[in-house]
Order: sequence, then C-alpha cells, then structure tokens
Amino acid sequence: MPGPFAAFKWAALGRDWTVFAGGFAHTILVSFLALVLALLLGIIFGVLASSKQKGFRTISRIYVEIIQNTPLVIQVFFLYHALPHLGILLPTFTVGVLGVGVYHGAYMSEAVRAGVEAIPRGQLEAAYSQGFKFWSAMRYIILPQAKRLAVPTMTNQAVSLIKNTSVLAMIAGGELMYHADSWASNSLYYGPAYIVTGILYLVICMPLALYARRLEEQMEVQA
Amino acid sequence: MKRLLVFLLSSLMAVVLLTGCGSDQATNGAGEAKDIAAIKDHGVLKVGVKVDVPKFGFKDPQTNKIDGLEIDIARAVAQKIFGDPSKIEVQGVTAKTRGPLLDNGEIDLVIATFTITEERKQSYNFSEPYFVDGVRMMVKKNAGIQSIKDLNGKKIGVAQSATTRKVIQDETDKAGVKVEFLEFGTYPEIKTALDAGRVNVFSVDGAILAGYLDDSTVILDDKFATQQYGIASKKSNTALAKLVDETIAEMKKSGELDKLIKKWGIR
Amino acid sequence: MIRMIGVHKHFGANHVLKDINLTVKAGEKLVVIGPSGSGKSTLIRCMNLLETPSAGQIIVGGVDITAPKAPVEKVREGLAMVFQQFNLYPHKTVLENLTLAPTIIKKVPKREAEKTGMEFLARVGLVDKANAYPAQLSGGQQQRVAIARALNMKPEIMLFDEPTSALDPEMIQEVLDVMVDLAKGGITMVVVTHEMGFARQVADRVIFMDGGQIIEQGNPEHFFVNPEHARTKSFLGKILRASNT
Repeated sequence: MPGPFAAFKWAALGRDWTVFAGGFAHTILVSFLALVLALLLGIIFGVLASSKQKGFRTISRIYVEIIQNTPLVIQVFFLYHALPHLGILLPTFTVGVLGVGVYHGAYMSEAVRAGVEAIPRGQLEAAYSQGFKFWSAMRYIILPQAKRLAVPTMTNQAVSLIKNTSVLAMIAGGELMYHADSWASNSLYYGPAYIVTGILYLVICMPLALYARRLEEQMEVQA
Repeated sequence: MKRLLVFLLSSLMAVVLLTGCGSDQATNGAGEAKDIAAIKDHGVLKVGVKVDVPKFGFKDPQTNKIDGLEIDIARAVAQKIFGDPSKIEVQGVTAKTRGPLLDNGEIDLVIATFTITEERKQSYNFSEPYFVDGVRMMVKKNAGIQSIKDLNGKKIGVAQSATTRKVIQDETDKAGVKVEFLEFGTYPEIKTALDAGRVNVFSVDGAILAGYLDDSTVILDDKFATQQYGIASKKSNTALAKLVDETIAEMKKSGELDKLIKKWGIR
Repeated sequence: MIRMIGVHKHFGANHVLKDINLTVKAGEKLVVIGPSGSGKSTLIRCMNLLETPSAGQIIVGGVDITAPKAPVEKVREGLAMVFQQFNLYPHKTVLENLTLAPTIIKKVPKREAEKTGMEFLARVGLVDKANAYPAQLSGGQQQRVAIARALNMKPEIMLFDEPTSALDPEMIQEVLDVMVDLAKGGITMVVVTHEMGFARQVADRVIFMDGGQIIEQGNPEHFFVNPEHARTKSFLGKILRASNT
C-alpha cells in the first residue's frame, strides 16, 4: 500500500542521499555567514541604538522597524527579484546571506541594545574619563558586560536564523529546503523527504537551543 | 541530550508507521464503491486545480473566479457522479501541494496540468490523458537565444515537481550544451525571475507558457517530449479512478473534449 | 592648569552653571563645597567634558577642550576622575581594572602596567585584593581601588566627585586617609566633597557654590573661621552642626 511513508519511498531517498547532504552543507554555510553578518549588524546597530546622538538612534530605529515589520520573504524577494531591475544582480548565494543576515541583525541589535542599556551609565563615564573613545569603550568595557544579558537571546536568534534559511527555497537558493522541495516534488515522495529534512534542521538547531537554555539558567543563578 | 534525540526519533518512527498503515481502504462490496459513496455523502466533488495557468486553471484577479478547461472537465466528472455539473468545489494547488492534498483526502481529484509518468503512477492513479502537450521555452526577445544550441551556460527556470527539468536536461545533453536549473514554486515566480534576469529561459509545457507571453518575450520553436496530462486520484480510490477514466473516454468519443479545448482557445 | 572662562550649563530649562570663571593652578588642592543641586558636581564634570558646557571655554593644560575637534580623549588621559559610585569595571579583576586603560589607551606594556599597578595597590593597602573582583570588595575598598586605577594612568590632575558620599560611615576614613596621603604629593587635585575636616586639612583653597555660582572662595583658615557671605555661613552652620551631633 503506497502511503506517503511507503518503504520504497524511503529507499529512493536513501539512493539520493547526496542531494540532501549537499543541501545540508549549503544550509550550514549560508547560516554561518549570515550569522556572522547578523552579529556584526546587531552589535553596530545595537550600540548605535543606545548612543547619545539622536541621529544614530534614529538610523538604528529605522533599520530595526523596517526589518522587523516586514516579512523575511518580502525582503528576500526584493533582493532577488526587484534589485535586478535597478541594475543590481546579486548572486543567489549573496542574496541568501544578505537577506537572512540583515533580517536577524535587526533582532540581534535589539538584544544588544537591551544589554547595553542595562549597563549603568557610570561605566561609560569611567571609560571616557580614562581616555577611551566611544567604540573602544564599547569593545572593552560595555559590550563584555552586556554580553551576559544579550547572549541567550542572540543564541535563540541564531536558531531562528538557521531555520529561516529555508525561506531561500523560494528563490532556488540551493540549500536544504530547496533540495528537499525539489526532490520531494519531482518524485512525489514528500513524506520521507520532509521528515529527513526536519531531522537535519533539528540536529543543528537543538544543540544551540539547549545551549541558550543553559546560558539563561546560568544567568538566573548569577542574578 | 542524547536520550532526548532518541525519544524524538522513536516517536517520529511511530507516527510514520501508523500513517503508513492507516491509509487502507476498500470497496464495501455491496453495490457502490466506498470511495464514490464517500464523495456522494459529502455532496460535492473536491478538485485541486491550477490557479496560475491561464486557459487551464486560472483565478481571475478581478472576479476571484477560477475557470478554465480543467474546471470544465471537473464539472463533467461531477455530472457523472451526481448528475449535476455544479457540484464541484475547486481549490488551488501547486506542484508541491497536489500530492499531499490527495493523500490526506482534502481533495478527491487533481486536474492540474499533471503530467503522467511511470514514477508517479506508483503513487497515484492516473486517468487516460485529456490533453497532450510538449515542453517549450520562453526567452527575452533581446536575449539572442534562437534554439536549444544557444543555451550553453544559461540558467533555466522550471517549476518544482514539473517534468520539464528532466526533458530539457536530456535535450541539452543531446545538443552538447551545459545548463543550470533553478526550480521555483509557482509559474509567476519563474516569469518574475525571467524578467529580473535571474534565469535566461522559462521552460514548461507549451500551453502553460502561452499564458505568460508578453511584448518582451518570445516562445522558441523547439518543442520536446510530449507531455500527457492526466487526472490523478489517491491510489486507494480505485472506483473513483475508473469512473474518471470512463468520463474522459466518453468525452473524447463524443467530441466534447475537443469542443472544450476549442472553447478555451488552446492551440 | 585648568581655566574655565564664562562657563554656563543648561539642562533643559535648568540653568545649572552661571558664568563660572575659575583657574586651578598646577599642584593646587582645590576643594569645592556647597549644598546639593548647587552645581558643584556639574562643575567638576565639565573639567573633563563628561558634561559639555552650553557656553564658555575650558582650557586644560593649554588645550581648549571646548573647541570643535579638540583632542578630548588625549586630555582625559592626564585628568583622572574618581566617582561617587566608584564605577569599577565589574567584569575585570582589581589589577585588570588598573591596567586596562594604561595598556590600551597609553600603550604601556602589560608587564610595566602591572608593576606600577601593584605599587599603587600597595599604596592604597590592597595588594592582597589584586585578583579579586570588585563585587567581592567593600565600598571603601572599591573606592581605594578606583583611586589606584586613576593613579595608574599617571595623571597630572585628579578629579574627585564626592568620593565618600556613597560609603557607609565606617569606611569613609580609610578613603580620606588615602586622599590625604595623595595630597602630600605634587599632583593637582579638585575635590567635590562634604568632608569639611578633609577640606581643612588638605585644601589650598576652598570654593563654596550655590545656585550655579561661585559664592565665595578662599584659603581654609579664612573660609571656615571667617566666612563673609551669609549663604556660606548658613551652609557651614548646618554642615558643622550635623557633623557634631
């Protein structure tokens, strides 16, 4: 009886395992680069958001509001389908890293801002009084302290980021979800395809999520 | 951590086994088949159709009405079951959703430019073909592409789940040119990608392609691998499959199918 | 050493400093007193530009730090500040608190910064706490570390912004002792405080502020024995009565 999970469908997946392995590797690479970008943007805009200068705060606010209040799919479609009409044809891989990285950068920035704002004003003043400039004060004095508060949230964001790379399937992104979709819809053996895909996401996301949970617990103990 | 993973995996397997075995269904012996009876009980035939393929199955954005050749065929099947062509309920499907929707019983039939293949016959019942088409290619007028020989290094946009990819792959292999395939979920996305320059070629069955032709694009003369569209039903719904097959056969014989194809101006 | 010329400071509608003109000479020990809200904290925070004056000029060691593009950070290296709330870096050990700025800002080799750091810790009596974290120290100990941290920048001027106001009474003396010891050297000190005993003991000059203005100034003898201004008398009366009870 050929149900969605019939044995011959599993066997077919077993034969084509390289398709999934390739997609998985691609997902890990895109996730890693997007994560680096998101961290950079998160720190820069998170720090700007807690700056004394109104102009910087406004810039950061605009970035966060636009990104957080529009769907990731739209942002990715914009980069993929709309930019070429303006003469900017970014490679699909770049669109993936940029789209997902910029999206989660906004959320990271909120985590960083919350962390920085929790540090007493006196810390920055002490740093200034010793001759630190703004960014070096952030680097050596404020951010290391803000880290404790921000890192659990940021780790959870990293988990979301990995899962959200699946949006790239819609622009033929070449990552795990794309290959799963492609394989599943060509063979129509979607049952095994999506279960295996789900497990692969689980394998990378769950350790990170557990790590975030542990950090949160540690923070509660320390607080 | 390890124990949790084992637990998750084993519960997954349990789900898999249960759903895998639970889909058996048979006729109830007495007179009417169980699957037909179920549809009659429900009072309406649920059909998955395309909403983005003009003339076959297309949702008019102004009126929100779905119409096309395939909807007319669905009406003919409803006539056969209920004696009333209006007893249909159409639902938009994509290449990706049509399989799962059939399997979980949300729709009874898929009439959605669904090409018959041997592989697919393993999973679903297919009726005899109601339309035969070939794979064709649309390019931008200014792209300088005349035929398949000009495709070296080009990107071909195809629909997920369509048989197009394999056909074009075989043809380009024969012609000795190398191409790259990008798969998208819906046809408008492929057209958007073509307009954006993300792909150089939009390739799918000719009849579908015709619906996307505009001033800036042209459809090449090359035509490959005949594609036969059939009506699909869940593998276990054997009586329904038989009824559908008969309906198509009758429509062909009576000339009604040709009339419908003409009505929609296809070819 | 420090010159303030016609300095004003507004916080919104609040006019906190009104036309301050003040010169602090090299090596001078200047004590600033006054009721809370008199503007004395703002005055000292203007000297290293933690507060930017709304008008006027501030010149430190010949550099106009209120000028556009002034090398403020460079000037601050030689102008250490001790805060009411200590403001030690809680994620760093005591010794790291002392060496962080010298190594990063002044590029002093780490070994050298640690050596001088230990010397200053010895001077404030906290050598044994070098590897402790600030949270493990009492308030008085933290403030002594803060003074050692300031000293390890080898500043020419030290600013003290109410250094004992946040301390429990029994810890005030240990901090004052360190400051008295410090005052024996040639370093320039500006101290905002309520500790009149300290002012008498170390000040070359005492300034009394009220309502954003310098009301009266003079050497401690004259100042505490013969204040001229009525507001000064009233303030001193309250303070001394409070500390006698």
